[in-house]
Amino acid sequence: MTEPLLDVEGLDVRFGTRTGVAEVVNGISYHVDAGETVALVGESGSGKSVSSLALLQLLPMPPARVGGAARFKGADLLSMDEASIRKVRGNEIAVIFQDPMTSLNPVRTVGFQLVEPIELHMGLKGEAARARAIELLDLVGIPSAADRIDDYPHQFSGGMRQRVMIAMGISCRPELLIADEATTALDVTTQAQIIEELDDLQTEFGMGLIWITHDLGVVAGIADRVIVLYGGRIMEEASVDALFEKRRHPYTRALIASLPRPGTDRPDRLTAIAGLPPDPLKMPTGCPFAPRCQYAVERCHNERPELREPMEGHRVACHFDPEELYE
Amino acid sequence: MTDIAHDAGEPIVEHRSRLRATVETVLRNRLAVAGLVVLALLTIVAIFAPLIAPYDINDVNIADRFSPPSSEYLFGTDELGRDIFSRVVIAARVSLRVGFIAVGIALVIGVPIGLVSGYYGGAIDSFLMRVMDVLFSFPAILLAIAILAVLGPGVGNAMVAIGIVYTPIFARITRGSVLGIKNQVFVTAARSLGATDGRILRTHILPNVVAPIIVQTSLSLAFAILSEAALSFLGLGVQPPDPAWGRMLADGRSFFQDAPWMAIFPGLAILLTVMSFNFVGDGLRDALDPQQRSVIESRGSA
Repeated sequence: MTEPLLDVEGLDVRFGTRTGVAEVVNGISYHVDAGETVALVGESGSGKSVSSLALLQLLPMPPARVGGAARFKGADLLSMDEASIRKVRGNEIAVIFQDPMTSLNPVRTVGFQLVEPIELHMGLKGEAARARAIELLDLVGIPSAADRIDDYPHQFSGGMRQRVMIAMGISCRPELLIADEATTALDVTTQAQIIEELDDLQTEFGMGLIWITHDLGVVAGIADRVIVLYGGRIMEEASVDALFEKRRHPYTRALIASLPRPGTDRPDRLTAIAGLPPDPLKMPTGCPFAPRCQYAVERCHNERPELREPMEGHRVACHFDPEELYE
Repeated sequence: MTDIAHDAGEPIVEHRSRLRATVETVLRNRLAVAGLVVLALLTIVAIFAPLIAPYDINDVNIADRFSPPSSEYLFGTDELGRDIFSRVVIAARVSLRVGFIAVGIALVIGVPIGLVSGYYGGAIDSFLMRVMDVLFSFPAILLAIAILAVLGPGVGNAMVAIGIVYTPIFARITRGSVLGIKNQVFVTAARSLGATDGRILRTHILPNVVAPIIVQTSLSLAFAILSEAALSFLGLGVQPPDPAWGRMLADGRSFFQDAPWMAIFPGLAILLTVMSFNFVGDGLRDALDPQQRSVIESRGSA
């Protein structure tokens, strides 16, 4: 097997706060191959956004402290100096942020902001950069791109702005794109269009994609592999088919069970997971999900389960095998 | 918001640019318009002062000393028989120049300090802001006097002194606005695209904090001119025989019983100028930055 595009090993993120140290991401390891889509799934606060911002040193440090390693084409992103990581940002690894309403500068035209990374990384200047920017807007499906390029963000709808963000993300043909809830703020139709466009782009450029979301419905459609995060730890990792067919971790089961389904007896009722995610300031000593897990036994509260790989390519952090639990 | 309605992507035809919206709001404010008109006139007077002034500022005419205002001497004459109108007109140049240059100094030093302080935070921020706090803790005029005591009196030094005195206001206002902007997603987004700190500060943060700075500039101009008048009044600013409103006010004091015009006209000039800048500043604030309460207002300045 060839070396993966991105190889994250034991990534830790801690935030020093007044009341103690928040353990937001705890030793997560995963890899992304070129051309592959990996979904990071979890609730709010599960560490999915923070873990990917940490890769590009985009967290404010202090208060954040990042440990572990993240090798991108062999070089450790986490130990790069500012000048080197800046060459990676936007150029080799790009991020699409979750809120299209706030991720564009309101006082600069869309064109100005789109041209910025192109000039920074591609060595294009002036008209050439502008032409490339128009080309990109066209690519992400903005009608009459040449006329819209000098508009301000407030003249764009949310969906359009998200497309602009995507155009910015792919402007330098990154080898890895991190889409942080890139479609969460959008309505379903726009979401579907954007996912399709990203899929096309991925096929075209062969880029790796990390898709951060809490929406399992989207995951099923887009991802090759899924990593389920909880309390800043990997609970389960599997190919998307395996996860939906043979989900092993009680948390993954609970997540999937909480998806609303049409045609069930009470479509107005949602199945929620009882309880709250763990407080990163007071991480439980055992399994982080144990307090909310209906199958938890005493061992779960005291002993943290290691991430095991009971089947090839399927990792799970639970003391039990599904056969013991669910049958 | 029109976001959902425009998802199909048709351009939103009608939109007012921010500049136009600002201008329109200011123009609806009568006091601000009056202030603008007065300032425009004042600027014209200052530029063409030598042409407007009927007499030389130092034309001494002892025979006509203490003349009351008349068609010959519009604002009367002083104890040496010098034409007060000519002196007030020429002094407008000094006042405006000192005002603009002093505020310019404050802007050029204060805004970068505020940008760096707010953006980097931490130890740099603490250090810069403590320095600003020290400057801020003195009453404005007292600090200016102290600086002039070190530098020596004179117009040039007065500009520097006033500039230093007003630097912390700009630093604070800029820093406060930067703190609000720097955690916006678009700043992280710009970083994620590989922009350097300098570039982010220049192209993404500065344009977003410019509104309160503009407002503060016009308000500070009023106070800078007032400070210059106060310093000249105390004999620390413009030196005789050059005319300055503050100086003329001080000279007129001794003769107020017999020749009130000596003090009244320079005093009116100060009042009119300072009030105009304030009205324009208030108008701009209403248009650009309705939430901003000026730091200077709570400071009880000179």
